[in-house]
This record gives sequence, structure tokens and C-alpha cells, in this order.
Amino acid sequence: MSLIHFQVLSAALFSIGVYGVLARRSAVMVLLALELMLNAVNVNLIAFAAYGEQVQATGQVIAIFVITVAAAEVGLAMAIILRLFRDRASVDVDEVDLMKW
Amino acid sequence: MNYLLFAPEFTLTAVAFAVLGVDLFLPRDKKGYLPALSVVGLIGVFVLSLRYLWGRDTDLYDGLFLIDNFSLFFKAFFLVLGVMVVLSSVDYVKKHLSRPGEYYGILIFSILAMMLMAASGELLTAYISLELLSFSLYVLVSYGRHGLKPSEAGVKYILLGAFASALLLYGISQVYGMLGTTRFDEIHAALLLEGTPLNPAVLVGLVLIIAGLGFKVAVVPFHMWAPDVYEGAPTPVTAYLAVGSKAAAFALILRLFSQAFMPAFDDWQIILVILAALTMTVGNLVAMAQQNIKRMLAYSSIGQVGYLLMGVAALSPLASNGVILHLVGYGGTNLLAFMCVIVFYNATNKEEIADFAGLADRSPFVAMAMSAALLSLAGLPFFAGFTTKFYLFTAAADGGLLWLVGLAITNSLISLYYYMMVMKQMYMVPADDNTPLNVSMFSCGVLGMLLAGVIIIGVYPGPLVNAIQAATKAILP
Amino acid sequence: MSLSLVVFYLLGAVCLGGAVGVVVSRNVVHSALLLLVSLMGVAGLYLLLLAEFLALVQVLIYGGAITIIVLFVIMLTRVQEFRAMKDNPQWPLAVVAALAMFVLLAAAMIKGAPSETTRQSVSFEELGSSLFTQWAVPFEVASLVLLVALIGAIVIAREGGEE
Repeated sequence: MSLIHFQVLSAALFSIGVYGVLARRSAVMVLLALELMLNAVNVNLIAFAAYGEQVQATGQVIAIFVITVAAAEVGLAMAIILRLFRDRASVDVDEVDLMKW
Repeated sequence: MNYLLFAPEFTLTAVAFAVLGVDLFLPRDKKGYLPALSVVGLIGVFVLSLRYLWGRDTDLYDGLFLIDNFSLFFKAFFLVLGVMVVLSSVDYVKKHLSRPGEYYGILIFSILAMMLMAASGELLTAYISLELLSFSLYVLVSYGRHGLKPSEAGVKYILLGAFASALLLYGISQVYGMLGTTRFDEIHAALLLEGTPLNPAVLVGLVLIIAGLGFKVAVVPFHMWAPDVYEGAPTPVTAYLAVGSKAAAFALILRLFSQAFMPAFDDWQIILVILAALTMTVGNLVAMAQQNIKRMLAYSSIGQVGYLLMGVAALSPLASNGVILHLVGYGGTNLLAFMCVIVFYNATNKEEIADFAGLADRSPFVAMAMSAALLSLAGLPFFAGFTTKFYLFTAAADGGLLWLVGLAITNSLISLYYYMMVMKQMYMVPADDNTPLNVSMFSCGVLGMLLAGVIIIGVYPGPLVNAIQAATKAILP
Repeated sequence: MSLSLVVFYLLGAVCLGGAVGVVVSRNVVHSALLLLVSLMGVAGLYLLLLAEFLALVQVLIYGGAITIIVLFVIMLTRVQEFRAMKDNPQWPLAVVAALAMFVLLAAAMIKGAPSETTRQSVSFEELGSSLFTQWAVPFEVASLVLLVALIGAIVIAREGGEE
């Protein structure tokens, strides 16, 4: 078990998250996929911190900040989604066509 | 550790908290004190930064936070921008938003974030300041506007913004992991050690960082969110998005690419060149088809980002000067254009280009200000746009990107077309309703200030250019 | 095949299986709960990487706070029974994009892999002291991020009183 195992796992998790963001129509589901992406980043960071040449806390510190920002993001996004739900006169948020090109 | 060097940031945070706190005690009709307090606070921090930080070149916390002429220039620029945005929002907030305290407070936090972004010396600080700016903007975009379009714009903005941050973060994790450090100067040293060809793991990290930052400034093909968000947000916030967040992101990009990623120049230059070409062309071509003034200005600012990217791709001291000068000049011009839209919306509640018909008769001053802004955006002489574009295009040509400069000039000519369309509406099409426009004295004053700024930069850019040269010397000696 | 490698594969299966479930499930409550499963798998991975504090934080924040918020909002935004939701009609494009991204990332990582090292743990004291001394500036800015998110969420979600 070495660094590359964790890196490939993180890449896979990240790609699954990217699929979720691009393919889902409901705002809540896109948010769940975003959380997957941010966790993939954290796995990558902590793997680097554990397998690095010198022992530094930097990777884990960055991971702590990522978790913090992800949590705040979920809170704020939920408030904005609630607002959207109310403004659509009580229709499901799931019909929002988010990826209009 | 000289904590006094943090004085501007501490003071600005105190101003933000003061605005939020005072808002608790002010009765409904006295809320006019809040923008006044914000402006006084911002000007105070501006004076403080200039007097105290002039000519220093140090860093705090081991390279985390850099204090040099580059960060000082951008601090001053963001504070002046903040003052202009607060002044532009006064009438709009009074009429349309019911919670002014939080609006001004969060605006000041976002200015703080921009100042920190320009002063970051390593990746984590840059990322977290970018997140503070992004969060403030997510809130401001969704502020107070009810209705289907604004709410959808708000949701789209936060979800795509978070996606961009995730891409940026993955890039940061790769660069950190492979090179072992997040400080810009140490990354530079590590890249020199790596030599060519660049390690693919580092290159993929670099590409992801470019993609993430590209989303934030609406580079094509990551620009999809911009027109809808610009249209759905309150207009002063749109102006702030168009000018401030781009300027802060470009300050970060300039520092990142010149201080950290310079050794890998050959690898990323080609990517930026392609993105620049795509962005300027798509931005200008699609702008021609727009009916709503805010969407048109959104696509026009996407085109402008293309020119700025061209400057970054040709990275040299001259190009860096050009980019910063264009940021300042285009910033002032865009503010002027958006202020005219704000004034028009406050008086008539309309934002389509067709509604601008006959503006020359209804309010000659606003029509003149809007024309000046449009001509400056197109790059005609006598206005800021000409000087800044001239500088930027010369610098890019100097860096060897001749075909790209040719494309940029072609695009400028194309943009002249749709700016002229708006002017035609204002001056040549008679209005349906000839009542004169109800514009407050205060708004006229703000318009006058912005107009003066645009013309001064156009005819007498000397002192500004000197300040910018001092700034560039700090990152590209 | 050492024990830790077996544990790694098990946890990896949990993570990736849960993640796939999150992005393909038709029922949003299932998606949210599968996200929880996947993130607990990630917490297990952190334990394998000798990052105990982060595993704890992961369980607390993701399991304790984020899942609750998500379920609350799902509850508040329903008008009828939880019904199956359709995906974006262009989802095959998304599959291609995601696969391309995975292949590019994995290839770049494998090609550029550094020399072999063994796992080392970062001492808890070092993590704590560096967070408050070396990384003090991002720490303070992160507190402002949380403040802005808090104020923003309240202002935006508050009902009534607008134009």
C-alpha cells in the first residue's frame, strides 16, 4: 500500500463527483456531488502529508481548512436553495435546469 | 513580528463590524448613516495603508503574507473601488433592499478578502481569501431579490463557484504534494530543481489551478454562469462582480504565475494563449445578440478577460504593467457603464437595451456618461480604454504573440458595433415616453466622479503608470 | 497482501460504492444517506493514513452536521411524496467527461509518482501548534468565512419584508 493507491482512489472519487455535478438536475444532488469532490481533495492532501519526504503538518492543515469551507458552503447553499424553493411558488427545486449552456 | 503591518486589515475588519453593529441600533429611517460610515472607514484605511506601508518590502509569517508595492497598489485600488461601489449602491439599496446593514458589512468583508488575495505569498492563504471573497459574493448576488430569475442565478452561482473551488483545490493539492511546499518562492525553487520536462503530476495540478481560476473570472469555456448571474443579481453587485472579483483574481494570477510558476513558462503559455483567443472571440461575438443591457455588458466583460489573459500569457514586466493598467482603466469604465444602468433602473425599473430609446432627450447627462463609458470600452482615444488597450496590446506584441494581438484588435472593432447599437438607441431612436429621468443629485455626483476618472486615465495616465511600474517591480524585478 | 492493503481495498470499495450510489440514485434521501456511508469510508481511510484527528473531525462534521443540514433541507423542500427524479438528458456526455478526467489524472499521477516512502504520522502537537502559529492568518480568515456564511444564510433564507 503506497501513495499511488491513495492517489488513484482520490482521482476516482473526484471524477465520480464531477459526473454528479455535470449530470444531476436537482440542486441538492449537485451539492452532494460537490461534497464528494472536496473529500477527494482531502484524501489526496492527507495522503501526501503521510507519505511525504519530510514530516510536515501542512497537508493536514490544508485539509482542516477544506473541511471548514465545505461545511460553510453547504450551509449557505442550503439557504439559497430554500429561497429558490419558495420563489418557485412551492414547486420542487428538482426541476431547475441548472446547466443551461 | 511587526503586527502593526497588519493595521489596514485589522482596521478594515473593525469597520465591517462597526457597520454591522451600528445597524443594530439605527432606526429604519436613519439607515443612511451606514454607507457614510462605510465610506469614511474605507477612506481611513486607504490613507492608513498609504502612509504606513509605502515602500516596504517584507513578509510576515514566513512568506505567508507579503507586504510590497504590488500588494499596496492593489490594496489602494480595491479600497477606492469599494468606495465607488458603496456610493453607487446608495440609491439602489434605499429603494430595493430591506437589510442595508448586512449588505454594506459583507461588501466590506469582500474588500478585505480582495486585499488579502493580492498580498498572499502562498497557496493556502490565497485559497482561503478567495473563498472569503466568493462567499461574500454568493451572499450579495442572492441578496434581497425575489423572483424566479434572480433565485436561479443565485443557486447557479454558488454551485458553479463551489465546483471551481474544488478544481482549484485539487490542483493545489497536486502542486503541494509533488513539490512539498505551498509558498510561491519555494515552489519557484522546486520547479527550477525539477527541470524540464515538467513532471506530469505537477502539470496536471497546474492545469487544474488554471481551470479553477478560469471559472472564477469567466474564461471561455467556463463562462456559462456569467450572463445569467450578471442578469439576476442586483445591479450594483453585478458591477462589483465585473470589476472587483476579476481584479482580485488577476492580481492573484499575476503573482502566482510570475513568482511561483515562472520556470514552467513554456508549459502554461500555450494553454493561456488558446484560452485568451477563445475568450475574446466568443465574448465579443455573443455580445452582439444580446437584448438585455446587463447581459451585453456581461459578455463584453468576458471579452475583456480575453485581452487580460493575453497579457498574462506574454508575461514580462511590460505585459504585467499592461494588465494592471487595463484592470484599473477597464474597472473605472465598467463602473461608469453600470452606474448609468443603475440610475436608469432606479428611475424606470427597466433594463432592456430597447428601453434606452431616446435617453438623450430624457436625460442628456446620463446619456453622455453612458456614451463615454461605451466608447472607452471600445477603446477609442481620449478615454481610458484607448490608453489601457494600447499599452496592453503593445506589451503582448512585444512578447511575441503577434497573431493574438491581431485577433484582439479585430475583436475590439467587432465590439465597437454592439456598443454603437446602444448609442444609436439613446441618440437616434425617439422615446415612447418623453418624461425626463428622475436622477438624484447624489447619483449625478457619483456619475460625474466616475466620468472624470475615465477621462483622466485616458489623457493623463502618467502618475498611475508610475505607481503600476513600482508595483510590477515587486513581483517581476 | 498485507492486512493494511486488504483494509484499504475494503474501505476503498465502501467509498467508491457509496459515491457511485450518490450520483446515480433516483431518490434524494438515498443519495444523502449514501453520501454519509461514503464519507465514513473516507474517515476510515484517514485512520489508515495515521491522521486520527482528521478522522475524528470528518465523522463529527460530515456525519454530525452536514448530513443533518442536507436532510433538513430535503424535508423542507418537498411538496409531495419523494418521487423518482430524472437526470439531465446529456448524462452520457458527463460520463465521458468524468472518465476522461479520471484517466488523465490517474495517468499523470502514475507517471509522475515520486520514490517509495513509508507512512509517517504527523504529531498532534505539531498540527495544533502550527495551526495557531504558522497558519494564523488563514485561520482568522476562515473564521470570517464562517461568519459571512452565517450572516448570509440568515439574511437570504429569512422570509418576507422584501420588495
